[in-house]
Amino acid sequence: MAPRLPARCWRQLQTTTTTPATTTLPLRPQCASIRPLSTTSCVAVKYGWTTLPKRSRPTRFNAATAGLPKPTAGPAAALARRARTTPLRTGVLAVKKGMTAFMGKSGTRIPCTVLQLDEVQTIANKTRDKNGYWAVQVGLGTRRPIAVGAPMLGYFEAKGVAPKQHLAEFPVRNADGLLPVGVQLLPDWFHVGQWVDVRSDSKGQGFAGGMKRHGFSGQEASHGNSKNHRTIGSAGPSQGSGSRVLPGKKMPGRMGGERVTLQNLPVLMVDNELGIVVVKGAVAGPKGCIVKIQDAVKKAPPAQEFIEQTRKLVEERFPLAEEQLEAARKRHLELKEARRTKRIAELLAGGLEGQAGIEEVAATFCTSL
Amino acid sequence: MNVAPVIRRPLASLKNSLRKQREIRRLLATTTEPTSNTSAPPPPPASRSTKPLPESNFFTIPDPKTKQLRTAFAVYSPPRSQPTVAKTTFISTTINPPPPQTLVQAHHDPLPALKQKQISLLDPTGARTALFSRTNRDAARVGDVLMVTHRRGGEPFAGVLMSIRRAGIDTAILLRGRLTKVAVEMWFKIYNRNVAGIEVVHRRKKPARRARLTYLRKSKHDVGDVQSLVFAWKRSRNVLTTGAKSKGQRTGVKGQRLS
Repeated sequence: MAPRLPARCWRQLQTTTTTPATTTLPLRPQCASIRPLSTTSCVAVKYGWTTLPKRSRPTRFNAATAGLPKPTAGPAAALARRARTTPLRTGVLAVKKGMTAFMGKSGTRIPCTVLQLDEVQTIANKTRDKNGYWAVQVGLGTRRPIAVGAPMLGYFEAKGVAPKQHLAEFPVRNADGLLPVGVQLLPDWFHVGQWVDVRSDSKGQGFAGGMKRHGFSGQEASHGNSKNHRTIGSAGPSQGSGSRVLPGKKMPGRMGGERVTLQNLPVLMVDNELGIVVVKGAVAGPKGCIVKIQDAVKKAPPAQEFIEQTRKLVEERFPLAEEQLEAARKRHLELKEARRTKRIAELLAGGLEGQAGIEEVAATFCTSL
Repeated sequence: MNVAPVIRRPLASLKNSLRKQREIRRLLATTTEPTSNTSAPPPPPASRSTKPLPESNFFTIPDPKTKQLRTAFAVYSPPRSQPTVAKTTFISTTINPPPPQTLVQAHHDPLPALKQKQISLLDPTGARTALFSRTNRDAARVGDVLMVTHRRGGEPFAGVLMSIRRAGIDTAILLRGRLTKVAVEMWFKIYNRNVAGIEVVHRRKKPARRARLTYLRKSKHDVGDVQSLVFAWKRSRNVLTTGAKSKGQRTGVKGQRLS
């Protein structure tokens, strides 16, 4: 504990509160002058000084947390803490298609990775009230229904979207980042020159030695070295330093096959027709792997006008997204009830509202053939 | 083309000029051709949903024992598919709905299309592509002597073409020449903006029987200095253009200038 200041040092300062010395010195017992009617908050500290944060004023008479500072742990605190590093808007899923190069204006060669957005749709929104955080669930690709389990078929039915090959969530800062369900995100969600973070799983290298996995130097080729050219050397000091291997010692083991985030990759090209986003540099993983692209955390977000523009574009392309979601939900509830009561067969045979009956179906099917 | 200088030309230059003419004609044909073909099919209309629900099929799961319908789920179509009669009314037990024409089926592999776009951007006349194309009879081949003019390199570099690494936009050539009497090998990316021109200085008499002439590195096979060939080529070019005699006004064929 810091040594207590003798009273003669600070009593003078307390009386003359206007001097700048009081602002620099964290003096605690000055509340009497600020809140003369309060009798609760300053009871404990009478003498000396403290580096603890100032206690807030009690809000409830018998509250257990009365007078304590705001909690620094818990869901709300975690969200607030992460707010600065959470992107404003959702990212997209993509498939890594391969690498190529761009030739710069001054003749520099810029290696780049081609990422394709295959039927990227928003599937659901996660909200603070229901889920405890803000996020957008995004789906990629299409999957044959036979390869999808019944629970997920019901999920996609309720959303009114085709079964997706892959689902992922993208955290967003607040409710402004949420999107209507079922809209498609095209490559123009990003603009050329912006910065993105790209996440994917790296290629698995299997059980790798210390040289490959951690870049150890290996050992000598000669000078009496026998069959230990690529083995790691010592694993640490011996007796006197504990004769043990310290936790976290770099050793041979499984390498690769883990998620790798590449931060701050510039977007070089955006093409709606080909459905591609081209980012600078290499992206982890083999061709065909699933890649998450989102606005870079450590750079300034895209301009507000651009964010609004992309949002408007999405709403223009899918003006009926909300109604469709509502209709799909309603229909899902009907179908769910029918499945529960084992009436789904007759429902299909009888035809749903807005759906052709089975005779009609057969007729049109035959004519179309 | 005026007639008088033609009489003065040696026959080899005539052959050269004929080759140039043939090349130019071929290039013109290729450059005019895409303009008629670039009327690509218009991009699919923006998926503007007009119906309250996207179209759907039913995926039915039969009971394994009784083979009766056990349960069924509505399966909606992807956002970009175009509605067709057969699809909207498709009901089957083990469904496999006809796959809609999606973006990814149209461009399952976007890399070739992207490569084409890049090359047309970096080589609008198609000269660079033609100079190393497999189909072009007048293309540069391994064993020819080429001269590369670099925007930053200063002196043009001349050397024997040792190999062509064909890799789309990264296509590169390896030249072996001499700088200050030291044998030097240099890679040039042919689509690089800094490569201002590639000119065929001398053609090998017989086509090489190897794709990569790595044996040129052995002193027995080394071609050595190609400066004499370059000088001869420059002299013949001056005769062609009559630039040497008419105060350096070069108006004739300028060799294979790129872009």
